[in-house]
Formats: sequence, structure tokens, C-alpha cells
Amino acid sequence: MPGKKHLHIESSGQLCIYCGACVGICPLNCIYLDETRITFDEKVCTRCEICVKACPVGAIEIG
Amino acid sequence: MSDLKTDVLVIGAGPAGSMTAKWAAKNGAKVVMIEKRQEIGSPVRCGEGISKSWLEGVGIKPGRWINLEVEGARIFSPSEKVFEINEKDAGNEVGYVVERTAFDKQLAIDAANVGVDVFLKTAAVTMLKENGRIVGAKVKRSGETFEIHAPVTIGADGFESQVGRWAGIPTNISTRDMDTCLQYRMTNVDCDVRYCDFYLGKVAPGGYVWIFPKAEGLANVGIGVQVSKVTAMADARTYLDRWIDHHPGYAKGKKIDMVGGGVSISAPIKQTVADGIMLVGDAARMIDPLTGGGIANGCIAGKICGTVAAEAVHAGTPTKEFFQKYEKGWRALLEEKLYRNWLAKEKLVQLSDEVFDKVIDVLQGYKLEKLSVHNILKAVHEKYPEVTKEFEEFL
Repeated sequence: MPGKKHLHIESSGQLCIYCGACVGICPLNCIYLDETRITFDEKVCTRCEICVKACPVGAIEIG
Repeated sequence: MSDLKTDVLVIGAGPAGSMTAKWAAKNGAKVVMIEKRQEIGSPVRCGEGISKSWLEGVGIKPGRWINLEVEGARIFSPSEKVFEINEKDAGNEVGYVVERTAFDKQLAIDAANVGVDVFLKTAAVTMLKENGRIVGAKVKRSGETFEIHAPVTIGADGFESQVGRWAGIPTNISTRDMDTCLQYRMTNVDCDVRYCDFYLGKVAPGGYVWIFPKAEGLANVGIGVQVSKVTAMADARTYLDRWIDHHPGYAKGKKIDMVGGGVSISAPIKQTVADGIMLVGDAARMIDPLTGGGIANGCIAGKICGTVAAEAVHAGTPTKEFFQKYEKGWRALLEEKLYRNWLAKEKLVQLSDEVFDKVIDVLQGYKLEKLSVHNILKAVHEKYPEVTKEFEEFL
């Protein structure tokens, strides 16, 4: 997506523990947790990076 | 599955949801409670320490969900001076270390036994609206989508609540008002089963490290870090691992479980009801901002919420106005303390390690008649008046 940084949520289980911290803090309510899958709405997300900080295990990367 | 009709739809089967469902059913409402997971109470996202004074009032009987009863709490300053709070001083505020999977299941059983229908693996997808009023939810179960119509819907969907936001109730929190948490269950550690331990200061910026003993040699070792103080990816884990490395009694232990989650440490939100809907528990940001504990408040509010839900069904008035009875009811019991503890948290997160040491130093030798923020500050004021300058509004 032009103008937006790349946001990657590692939710294959390598890092993510499906705790929902990112979902709860997202100011735009655009991250979804479906048991063992986390997705986010690419169009709504503004890359504010709050979820990156909220993730206790470093499963969300931006850059 | 074809569409369903019920009186009260509860979304989320954690403690607040089950408590709400139970009290609605006990008061004569037909209740459906949905849970997106396949197992109630799992995965655990909790330190599992609770106070016990409130249990009887909401109708929870002690059971096999209790791991052990502690005698008190110990608060460690950055240089590890210790302030001990025993049960008597704490006004029954300390209590049990619990097995959340068993606790949550027991509460769901209590709800089911008074007539609540429980649907597992059933997630709310969106709210049903009619003339701006919430009238149930569209849900998905095992790939199948159907509607559950109800005059009263309850959002008990936890910290990551979507129900409130779908319903237009502002529940967003700032990074100052959230802790990011991680916890290991560790075996072969030197925990003391008589105490829940808390470590304050730079070891956990804006939060604390906790040790809640589950049995001899077995403990929940966790951390909460204020999100606004996070500076690098996976900071919570980095801080927790560092703390463990620096404590030989824990560094020798073995991790057998890892859980995480978000905890709101906010002031009470302004609104928890709208036409056709009420929010309860973590979804309503009822977590104590000082301790991070949410179960007691969720259950206390849940009892009121369920009772008011049933009354609204019987009266045929599931309106925002009618739900003020719940809004005012839970605030009368919880709001003042939530607000006071939020103010205290706002101050505490600014304290340096040096000040924490001074405060704990004073408290070490002090016999507090009753544990309260006010009494603690008074004690500190006598020895270090310069420290309490910041806290004058509490004195």
C-alpha cells in the first residue's frame, strides 16, 4: 500500500500467544483475533504502532 | 442453526459474563451465554490472585478452584526492602490464589444450573440494530452464521472487547492506561506460599513484577509494563526475563506455561450502557488501575447487571434510561475506589526507584492500623515530607 509502512503480525504461533493485547489497544478497532489467527484491516490501519508496543512478546513488526 | 430468540444474550463466558447470566436467570429471564472459545476459562490470561471479601456477597462458594489461601502480601522496593501486609491490616483484601480454568468453569456451571443456555465456539460477529437500539447479535458457530435476537445484550467480552465499540460506547484507552503483561508458570522456584509478592520500580516500568504461589515450589511469575513506557519490541518479556535472571531462587526454575494479555489501568469510563446493551467487567474497563485485578469488580458489577437485565425484560423497557439503575448501581459500589486508585497509579508511575525505596523503608517499621493509600502517605509524610509533596491531594 503506497505511503504506508509494512505491518506484519506474526500469528503462526512462532511468537504470537494470542493474548489479545493488540486487539484491545487498537484505537481504530481494526485488529481481529479468531482463536489462533490474528488479522488486521490494511485499509483502516494508520500504522500508529501502538500495537507494536502493546505486544508482550514482540510478534508485531513494522518497517 | 436457525435464528434464535431469548430475553438476555450474554457475550463472553468469563467471570463477569457468567455472573451476569446467572443473576439474570435467577431473576426469571431466559438467558443465552455465548463463548467464542471451545473451553471456558482457557487459555488463562491472569495472575490468579484474588481478594476474598467479596465472594459471599455475589453468591460464590469456595470450591476446588482455590489453589491456596495466602496470609498476606509483600511489597518489595527496588533495593528489595520489604513491606508486609497481613490479612488483618489489609481489611480482608488479600486472599486466594486460584485456578482460573476451574474458577471460570464453576461460575459457568452455576449459571447453567439456574437455566442459562451456554453455546461454546460461538463468536459474536456484529450487533443487530433496530432504530439505533441493540437487539442482539449476529454470531458464528463452526462456520455457520445465525442471529440471536434479544431485547437485552450484555458485552462481557473482556479486555479486547469489540461489543462496546460496535454498540457505539467509547471504551478506547490510551497507552498510559494499559499494561502489557506476560507471565510464566514456573516450577522448582523458591516462592513462599504464605505471600503474594510484588516488586516495584524500574524492574517493571509503570507496573510491577508479581509472584503468586500456586503450591510449594510452583508459582505464577509475571509482569505488567505500562504501554506508554515501552521502548522496544517485546519489552514485557525482556523485563520479566531480566528479573528472573537476577533472582537465583527463580532463575533455577523451569517454565511450564506462558500467558500474556492486556490490562486496562484507566479511570472509570463515562458510559457503560446504551439502548439494549450493557457492558460489564474488563469490557467496561472495571479493572482496578492500581492492582490490575478485575475479577472482583467484574463479578460485583455482574450481579447488578444481571438483576437489572431481568428487570428490564419483565418491564419491557430495555432502554438506556432503565439501565441507569445498573450504571448507578455499579458506580455506587466501585467508582470512587477506581478513580482514587487511578489517581494513585498516575502518581506512582512517576516515582523514581529512590522514592520507592524511601516509601517502603518507612512502611517496613510501621504498624498501619488499616491499609489505605491515605494511611500509607501519612506514615511516609512523617519521615520524608518532601516525598509526599507530590501527593498532597491525597492527604
